Amino acid sequence: MRRFAAALLLASTLGGCIQTRQYADLQFMPPQGDYKLLVLRPDVSVGSVTTGGLVEQRADWTDAGRANLLTALREQQGARGGNLTIMERRSSLPDVPAKTVADIERLNYAVDSAIAQHKYSGDTLPTKRRRGLDYTLGEDAIAFGRRTGFDYMLFLHAEDSIASTGRVAMQLLGVAGCFIGFCAPSGGGGQLAYASLVDLRTGEVVWFNLLQTGSQLPGVGVSDIRTPAGASMMVERLLGRMKPGRNAARGLRA
Amino acid sequence: MSLVTRRFLLGAGAAASASVVTGTAQARILPRDMVPLIGPGYRAVDPDEKGLWQQMERVEEEVAGSNILITDPKLTHYLQGIIGHVGGPAAKDMRIYLAHIPEFNAVMFPTGFAVVFSGLLLRMRNEAQLAGVIAHESGHFLRKHQLRQWRDVKRKSDIFSALSLVGGMAGGVAGLYTGDLQQLAQLGTILSLFRYNRELEAEADATGIRLIAEAGYAPNAMPETWQQLIAEEDLSARYRRKRRDRGYSLFETHPAPEARMADLRISAAEVTVPGKVYDDHRERYLTAIGAIRPMLIDDQIKLNDPGASLYIVETLARDGWNGQLRFAEAEIWRLRGDIKQHDAERAAQGYAAAVGYADAPPDAWRWHGVMLQKAGRAADARAAYARYLALAPNAPDAPFVRQQMGS
Repeated sequence: MRRFAAALLLASTLGGCIQTRQYADLQFMPPQGDYKLLVLRPDVSVGSVTTGGLVEQRADWTDAGRANLLTALREQQGARGGNLTIMERRSSLPDVPAKTVADIERLNYAVDSAIAQHKYSGDTLPTKRRRGLDYTLGEDAIAFGRRTGFDYMLFLHAEDSIASTGRVAMQLLGVAGCFIGFCAPSGGGGQLAYASLVDLRTGEVVWFNLLQTGSQLPGVGVSDIRTPAGASMMVERLLGRMKPGRNAARGLRA
Repeated sequence: MSLVTRRFLLGAGAAASASVVTGTAQARILPRDMVPLIGPGYRAVDPDEKGLWQQMERVEEEVAGSNILITDPKLTHYLQGIIGHVGGPAAKDMRIYLAHIPEFNAVMFPTGFAVVFSGLLLRMRNEAQLAGVIAHESGHFLRKHQLRQWRDVKRKSDIFSALSLVGGMAGGVAGLYTGDLQQLAQLGTILSLFRYNRELEAEADATGIRLIAEAGYAPNAMPETWQQLIAEEDLSARYRRKRRDRGYSLFETHPAPEARMADLRISAAEVTVPGKVYDDHRERYLTAIGAIRPMLIDDQIKLNDPGASLYIVETLARDGWNGQLRFAEAEIWRLRGDIKQHDAERAAQGYAAAVGYADAPPDAWRWHGVMLQKAGRAADARAAYARYLALAPNAPDAPFVRQQMGS
């Protein structure tokens, strides 16, 4: 009986877990009203978790996931009053060469990677402590904003994975093993997504949010961006509650 | 030549099966068995392959727009022509990019685009040798290696995790600790993944040699390339007072160069048509890379790997010394700068030899002048500097050189 209780406890604590953690520039205020937002090509991948735990990307799922995310994003930003342009290809901005867009995309990606590493992966930089989000894309981003007329630039990276039948079986066996003294719970599907917002008037990365979801409960997913509802949920979790920066929030209270 | 990186395999293997690895050498793969598995205009078929292709679309876009590519249209057209010649049924579908990286390497991606490193163009003595490497890469695509590799990793990781779970449960029932056994099984899985990768490399070699023979290149060009690489690595290690990593490790992703060379020699004999005259197209090759060759040599010299650089310079000089190669030789010694080995004197002699050739680069004159000045031969040094300024009037250091001449 004690074993059964232990297994139950384990199953309940390992159930769905959803985590977000956002950072903002100290002076950041979430954009409101009539702003022009450019969404860089979202980097989306949806795959299946194999029995052995590897993720295998699926083209059709990825296409569906990307389309759903874009729809959800349009709805959400539209509700805030923003004027939204989603860039499907590097060549889809009129009057801007694809190479310029590529340069901005790569720069943005490099800075986002640095943020992920130094703000989330534990490699904290002593020079960036207690300073909110202190990163910039520099002059190039300002010039890009002037040239294109956008106020903000948003980038979205999303990975989603769905446990295959074999993986679910492994998870079931792993939990079942607890009853005979060999507990081997293993992860199923999960999501890793982040979004970053650049103010193109200053070139600064003003806001960043990272979302992680996972479920170790066999056969239970947290949400699934292959469905419109799942994609809306991801967009809501990532971008729904943009918090102002510390100093800006103080100003609001005062 | 790499299909996947070692880190990828170690990472993937960490989750993977319990097949047993034996230490016996692999049998040679016969070129005649290497039938292409795809036809012209091939597209991904199965879901896993479609996913892989989708990922690669973005990778190719990044590669194609990368600023480390050498995009000289004549040269890229030339390379495209070679892959169009030795690409078998996919000749018209494959793309080739030239990356400015001073290493001996080339990579094929699952969707049929290849990246050739500029260090390869430096080392190849003729078009036949280059075609051999490109044909090897084509072999990866024609034999669907990346997909087969992925499926192998997937299958073995499935088996490993299932077995370790069942084993652990059995141990749990019997009250035994199975952790050690599991680690052993995991090691076995990782080793078998590396072994499979080596087998695919051997397949690509056999496919490649068949392709270049069909395209009319001397099949012997492929084992020659390996011979050159082995000798280069030997000399590079000797100059660093080390021994060459002989690549017999179980964690090697590629077969040992010696084994590849030996297999390729036998295969070359097998596919060579007796009495047929093969052209290595050396002239055509030199014309194609002529414009970037000084840069390629310069990249290599700046690696400050005197053994390898010296081997490369001397190998290229087997087809005749010229001002460029003599200058490169002098640069090797100057950059090493070992006083005990009289490198400065050797460099001075090298520059003096280089300027004896009509095609000596301007910098040879400049350094010749510096060496003469150091030796106290001021008048001769001035003459050399004057020649340098005549050849390179807009050199960034021209004012400095003029000032040296005046002093």
